[in-house]
Amino acid sequence: MIISFPHMGALSIVLQALFTSLGRKVILPPAISKRTLELGVKYSPEAVCLPFKITLGNFIEALDQGANTIVTCGGVGPCRLGYYAEVQKGILQGLGYEFEMIIIEPNLVNIINNVHRIAPKHSLREIYSAFRLALAKMNALDSIQRKVQTVRPREITRGASDALWKTAMDEINTADTIPALRTAWYDAEHKLDQEVKLKAGVNPLRIGVVGEIYVMLEPFVNLDLVRRLGQMGVEVHTTMQLSNYVNGHLFRKSEYLELFKHLTNLARPYLGHYVGGHGLKSIAYTVHMGQQNYDGMIHVFPFTCMPEVVAKNILPKVSNDVNIPVLSLAYDEQSGEAGVVTRLEAFIDLLEYRRSTNTY
Amino acid sequence: MVLAVRIGLPRGLLYYQYGLVWENFLRELGAEVVVAGDTTKATLDHGSVLDEVCLPVKVYFGHVYELYKKVDYLFSPRVISVAAGQYTCPKIIGMPDMLRSNIDNLPPVINVNVNLRQNNRSLYEAIVSVGRTLGRGAIPSLYAWYRAWKHRHQLPTAYQSDIKRQRIGLIGHSYIIYDRQISMNIINKLRDIGFDVITPEMVSNRQATAAAKVLGKKIFWSNSHHMAGAALALMQSAQPVNGLIFMTSFSCGPDALIGELINQRAQSLNIPCLLLTVDEHTAEAGFITRLEAFTDMLVRRKRS
Repeated sequence: MIISFPHMGALSIVLQALFTSLGRKVILPPAISKRTLELGVKYSPEAVCLPFKITLGNFIEALDQGANTIVTCGGVGPCRLGYYAEVQKGILQGLGYEFEMIIIEPNLVNIINNVHRIAPKHSLREIYSAFRLALAKMNALDSIQRKVQTVRPREITRGASDALWKTAMDEINTADTIPALRTAWYDAEHKLDQEVKLKAGVNPLRIGVVGEIYVMLEPFVNLDLVRRLGQMGVEVHTTMQLSNYVNGHLFRKSEYLELFKHLTNLARPYLGHYVGGHGLKSIAYTVHMGQQNYDGMIHVFPFTCMPEVVAKNILPKVSNDVNIPVLSLAYDEQSGEAGVVTRLEAFIDLLEYRRSTNTY
Repeated sequence: MVLAVRIGLPRGLLYYQYGLVWENFLRELGAEVVVAGDTTKATLDHGSVLDEVCLPVKVYFGHVYELYKKVDYLFSPRVISVAAGQYTCPKIIGMPDMLRSNIDNLPPVINVNVNLRQNNRSLYEAIVSVGRTLGRGAIPSLYAWYRAWKHRHQLPTAYQSDIKRQRIGLIGHSYIIYDRQISMNIINKLRDIGFDVITPEMVSNRQATAAAKVLGKKIFWSNSHHMAGAALALMQSAQPVNGLIFMTSFSCGPDALIGELINQRAQSLNIPCLLLTVDEHTAEAGFITRLEAFTDMLVRRKRS
């Protein structure tokens, strides 16, 4: 069993740790590239959303490199993600690939069965420590990334924090015990605090990013949105990180359930019910961050994404009511860098103008 | 004389499945029901206020736009789920909110939640809640629903086939294929050319569900589940249809996946399958050309 799985930002580090410590060989799909996108677009239904196409491209490239087992997620709707695996499996079989597909459905019995399939000979204790390491890596990556997003707009030497982030990712990737991971984690945060020289007296624009998690977290897909904004001098707050998702949806931790309840209340005047995916959160965080005097919001999602299209049609009203500008960006395989950059620059100009005239 | 409350009922989306029951129900409760007329070009123009949504959602919005000034209430229930373990589509779930955010001075919207995903209770709660809005008690409301349900029948539910005629399975949401503006009257066009047309409504739930069992995972959108099941039933029966037309609207989320599933199956069974995608810019001439090319091919295929 040689396992592979789709890319989504730094997810590969977490999953690689998990499966390797469960004693499995892992072949990472090559980093997402133009070729991945082309393969995905070629074999996907035309009107399906971008994450479907790119993850299909990931699968093809990984199978070509020798993987024979794909681990991916399922779901119970109404967002399309829940039915991806079923259709992708048919497409890959039609292309003649022989492989096994392990679909992780969001229920405990299924998860336990699948873990047992992947690691039949492991004791509960070993499985527990494999998960513990993987989750610690996830938390470390999310925490460092948050710090990078605060430091980036303030750094004097452009790229200083990104260099540290890159090193940190490598070190976290290779750390194979919890203590080693902690060292790498604290080391990275310490360096970000101490070694990056900051401009004095800057007060960067603060922008919240809401929308669909895959587009938000995968730099290839969002055309490096977060780094780009940071280098344009903006402090970016991404509202969805992997750890939010895992702690909230899989572990249903009480703090996240509380948060979700709070968010549902904030969204209620505008969107009275869950519509799948993250549509409700896009509305809720826009209200929330508007109240916290953020300067603007950027709403990202794959073109034709159903939950986010609902949100998009409601956001102008929210934006108006809580007085925060919102820029919606829909991504598909034709999204070009120049177009996105132009829109970002125009948006930032607008936010700076608003700040200078103190109209809020 | 007390004037009856006027309630507007948009002719779009789930209207094609439940509209008559809703209309009867509201009438039983003593309301005057105003149903929007057929979809026109103007409906589409009004609907284009919404961004990136599919054509049927724009059409629904257009109907609301034409209705809302003429009525005291707007009936637009939030239908989240109509069957255990299933959902409608996110845009249908979010519809009342999209209306509120995009039309000023909307009359009060009757947007009770109907969510049968886990149990049927929410339907009865919704019925009672609608009744209460109109000043009726629980028992009269439930009775009104019972009477409305008893007299439901709208879309054709069975088909008779002439052995000599070729049969086409026309698969698509009822709000696409039964809206004459959106579908460009495709059903009659096909019949005029000499084909029997079978739509998903003519396949029973039982047949569709049985046929859908070949899929590895149950489809969690109600309409799509029935559409895919019906398509599979029509293709896998002892006398399969001669061809299949999958009619969808640009940017319909579920259809992007369901169309692929159906197409994969049609190819393996060697049944010709045509994918027709419509949006507000679709021109009738090009549409007819594609339809004719497909039907000509079916005719030639039968001869050879």
